[in-house]
Amino acid sequence: MGALKVVFRLLGAPFRLISSVMGRFLNTPFRQATALLVFAYLLIEIGIPFIPPLVGFPSAPVPNTVVLEYLVIAVVGILLWVSDNEERWSEFKQPIHDVLVRPDRRVARGFLFVIVPALVAAQTYLSARPDMSAPPSFRAIHPAPPSAITFQGEQIVLDGLENPLRSTGSLEEHYEEGKRVYYQNCLACHGDGLQGRGHYAQIFNPAPLNFQDGGTIAMLTESFVFWRIAKGGPGLPNEGNPWNSAMPAWENFLTADEIWSVIVFLYEQTEHEPRTWEEEGEEH
Amino acid sequence: MIERFGELRNTALLVSMFVIAGCGGGDGGGGGASAGAADAAPAESPVDAATAGNVAGMVTFSGTAPMMAEINMNSEAVCAAKHSTTPTEESFVGGENGGLANVFVYVKQGLESLTFPTPASAVVLNQDGCTYRPHVLGVQVGQDITIRNSDGLMHNINASPTENRPFNVSQPVNMETNRSFSTAEVMVPVRCDVHGWMSSWIGVVDHPYFTVSGPDGSVALDGLPPGDYVIEAWHEQFGTMTSNVTVATGETAEISFEFTEAMAGASVPMGEPIDLLHPDGHRTVDH
Amino acid sequence: MRVLPNLRSGGWFKVLLSSRHITFSSLLLAASLPFVPTHLGAQVDGEVVYNQWCAGCHGEDGAGTGPAANTMLPRPRDFTLALYQVRTTATGGLPTDADMLKVINEGMPGTAMPGWEDVLTEGDRLALVDYLKTFSRFFQDDPPTPLDFGRATPETDEAIARGAEVYQTVECWRCHGQQGRGDGESAPTLNDAAGFPIVAADLTENWRFNGGGEVEEIYRVLRTGLDGTPMPTFSDIVDAGVITNEDLWSLAHYVRRLSPEDEPEVREVVTAKLLTDTPLPQTVEDIVWEEAEAFYVPLAGQIIIKPRWFNPRVDGVWVQAAHDGRELALLVSWGDPSESPDTLWADFGERVLTTMAPGDEGSASGSGAADQLVVQFPQELYEGQERPYFLQGDARRPAYTWTWQSDVTGAFESIARGMGTAARQADAEQHVRATAQHADGQWKVLFVRPLDTGSEEDLAMTVGQAVPMAFQAWDGDNGESGNQGAVSTWYFLFLEQPTPIAVYVQPPVALALTLLFGLLVVRQARLGSGMVRELDASARRKRIARTRQLAGMGVGVIWLGMAFGSYQNSRAGWEAGHADLGFWWAIIGGLLAIAGLGALVGTWIHTRTSK
Repeated sequence: MGALKVVFRLLGAPFRLISSVMGRFLNTPFRQATALLVFAYLLIEIGIPFIPPLVGFPSAPVPNTVVLEYLVIAVVGILLWVSDNEERWSEFKQPIHDVLVRPDRRVARGFLFVIVPALVAAQTYLSARPDMSAPPSFRAIHPAPPSAITFQGEQIVLDGLENPLRSTGSLEEHYEEGKRVYYQNCLACHGDGLQGRGHYAQIFNPAPLNFQDGGTIAMLTESFVFWRIAKGGPGLPNEGNPWNSAMPAWENFLTADEIWSVIVFLYEQTEHEPRTWEEEGEEH
Repeated sequence: MIERFGELRNTALLVSMFVIAGCGGGDGGGGGASAGAADAAPAESPVDAATAGNVAGMVTFSGTAPMMAEINMNSEAVCAAKHSTTPTEESFVGGENGGLANVFVYVKQGLESLTFPTPASAVVLNQDGCTYRPHVLGVQVGQDITIRNSDGLMHNINASPTENRPFNVSQPVNMETNRSFSTAEVMVPVRCDVHGWMSSWIGVVDHPYFTVSGPDGSVALDGLPPGDYVIEAWHEQFGTMTSNVTVATGETAEISFEFTEAMAGASVPMGEPIDLLHPDGHRTVDH
Repeated sequence: MRVLPNLRSGGWFKVLLSSRHITFSSLLLAASLPFVPTHLGAQVDGEVVYNQWCAGCHGEDGAGTGPAANTMLPRPRDFTLALYQVRTTATGGLPTDADMLKVINEGMPGTAMPGWEDVLTEGDRLALVDYLKTFSRFFQDDPPTPLDFGRATPETDEAIARGAEVYQTVECWRCHGQQGRGDGESAPTLNDAAGFPIVAADLTENWRFNGGGEVEEIYRVLRTGLDGTPMPTFSDIVDAGVITNEDLWSLAHYVRRLSPEDEPEVREVVTAKLLTDTPLPQTVEDIVWEEAEAFYVPLAGQIIIKPRWFNPRVDGVWVQAAHDGRELALLVSWGDPSESPDTLWADFGERVLTTMAPGDEGSASGSGAADQLVVQFPQELYEGQERPYFLQGDARRPAYTWTWQSDVTGAFESIARGMGTAARQADAEQHVRATAQHADGQWKVLFVRPLDTGSEEDLAMTVGQAVPMAFQAWDGDNGESGNQGAVSTWYFLFLEQPTPIAVYVQPPVALALTLLFGLLVVRQARLGSGMVRELDASARRKRIARTRQLAGMGVGVIWLGMAFGSYQNSRAGWEAGHADLGFWWAIIGGLLAIAGLGALVGTWIHTRTSK
């Protein structure tokens, strides 16, 4: 029984430490609010990027604009909390008020009077300076596909279309054929690793698609991939920026079977599953 | 003591043939292969000179001799000045009476049971007038090849064997570098990347019975133990020919190789292909 | 059920945004950012790893003849020869395991060989090293002994000066050229061990050096040579006392200095410097170019339309630009060892052509064409972000191009509706002037054109505006012509404008306003706490009320301002064809407008009733 007590005591030690620290330093609403804001910032900036890998998605730093947006929400929330009851509100305001009026806070007040206008002026300068960046560009990575396309003069209906090679012949042969097609045609841009990092990849903007990424072929049907390969950059609708894409229209180079086999290769090599039409249907 | 003398004589014969062969390809390329003539003194030879016989014969060419392109050495005044006439490529050097020079002739089969000491002396591959002297040379396994730059300008010596490890050495000034090959290989191509026209061939064998034909086409392999042999003749344009001979004590077996116009462009062996499926069972030219 | 976007309805576009104004879908950026390997690496069998990831180029038999091999120059390594370029061993030596792992990890810069460090697990990569060694019996010999390279000498000015002398002594220029651009007299005749044409490295691009571009790596190559290529070892000349080991380090320092400090960063916008005091440069040697910032634009082979070209010689161009408000001067420089057509190089081009696949219909049948550079613009600036197809436009959106050729003086303007369709404008409509210079393996071409030519057929350039711009380059002596050359996608040319007066006015005004606001706040606080004694109670109340009124109005105005910003974003979204963006910004703008009006009205009502 005593041993259990010791264990609990030991387990509780870190919490007691934290609460004692909090009790000592975070003893006013203002400090608590400040600490909350810092915590929120750290969570957004550092914490969030840890989440996607947990569910199998690649991670990335959170863009500054998003950080800013969430911080604004955090500030609003904190303000709601501190102004929730009158007592806390006035306690919260006290240190601010003190800095504004108390004679013994003259130094802090002077400091704020210098630093805040200076920051505002600097920000104004930065935004008034001539903007020499590229105009904004918007690009739909996976634009809506047409329901049918003309492939080498023949009409192909994409709706509900499955990869015909999956029901004929040996998958291994299709894979090998797809591998040949891939290496002879796709390698320079999409790379050996299928990550869109071939030796030409950095030269083209937008960068070639990364097939290993869970956000590309893994969430597309094979018919969609067929459309993209067959029609390439020039076949994109306007929201896909057809003028920028270096993806060739492969119907000028490959037969339908070659395209289907390279699709088999893409999924096999990355161990992704194509999205099926059943899954698509479920959403309706 | 008499036996010992016999050996020395045989060796001297070999070396002198070598000198002839070495100088055969060119127009007096500055004492190219003269090194080693003095003190080639093998330790123990398994060959009994008293019972040995010889092989001798001719390497000839019939047909229209291929035209050798002229080499433009204008960019290398130093080299151009060393040539009294416009230098030409040397992949075909014919002589009088149909003799064919620069043919590497060696015992291909028949010596498997014997081992031979590595000569202590080096053979010389000289770069003179932006030309290799000699154009074709033979060397024993492990024997030093002294690569000499006599031009005082940048040469690189890029040997690309398949049986041996390659080397690619720079010689920007007059200097010497020694290299050797550890495995028999006929032939090892050598080229200079700085001067695209410069090429040479080195035949590496694990016995002393090899020679290079001179312009008169005569070849001789002396001091062979009695027995049956396969003699091979290699030419860089015409490929290889083999001849079976039987050597008897004190006698000279006749050989003759006639290369023809029709053989031009034959695939020229440069070492045997490596058998990937049986890397352990891979056979080099020596057995 | 997996939650997936509905592709068909168009309801959820995945929109990639680079605008700093728009924040919505930025998180979706994540989808295009670095890949984290998750499922690779269960294998430990080198053969399985090799066949899956390496055989496509190197072939299952290791002979370097996989399906992709003949679209590459240099060709993939033939492992059966056991000829390895990157080694720490003497020439002809076998690589150590660490040497082989280094290449697997880092790849071979400047070639198609990528680094595998973040694709394959360490176990996989080590298994590969072992498997590669089974392709050659040479690896059955004793393990190789690495050379002792010692430590780098300090990089001093003296060392670099000495290195320049050594460069002459050991005659590096024979292949690499006097300025290191791979234009030496022996360069056109070079072959690799397999007999394929090979170029002498351009020593001004150390980020493309095989085996690495830092001083230690350059020194290592000097000591070991690059086996299988014409690059020899320089160890023997140190052993022979021709130069010292320190000299060789100095040479390495010198070679390192031929390249920029860092690999050039690729920037989307090329800025044309505004010249106010100096005249616009009319020659490639003008002093302005020594000062003007240089922008690097990498190029890739044109592998999009037939006939494709997988072996471009020009891997990038340096772009500098200046204008004086009336004319634009654009200087483009790039490495090219010859002034095509050069008879010394004719054979090289032929050999490249016979070596390269795929040989699409329409492929060049012979080398000897001229060098060529095309600078491409849209014929006009379209609404939104629309541009011509980056390969010289399309039927609907023509491109406007400047073409320079090494066998023609000057340059000419054309209108193109697709690669190879460029139609030269009438002589009367030609406004671009060009001068070119070829020296030490480098072309420099200067284009000069009025910003506004007055012709409707030409793109008019406006100061303070970003204009799309793209480049295409051909090296005739490398067998390039027609569609077979090097291309870039779109960049921007921005003509620098005089600094607007607002830049000098706004910050001080903002500073003063903030200060004033601060004073107001402090004063208000003091009033509230009764620290200002001279006012009586009613006056104090009045003042508080007025300040509150001001603050409330201020908030309302700010919110309305934000609503206006949202409205503009919304409009931009609609115009760019992104209905979803337009819609959501419209909603935000509407809410902000309501809030702003509410603040104004509320303040007004509140302060009125409090009277």
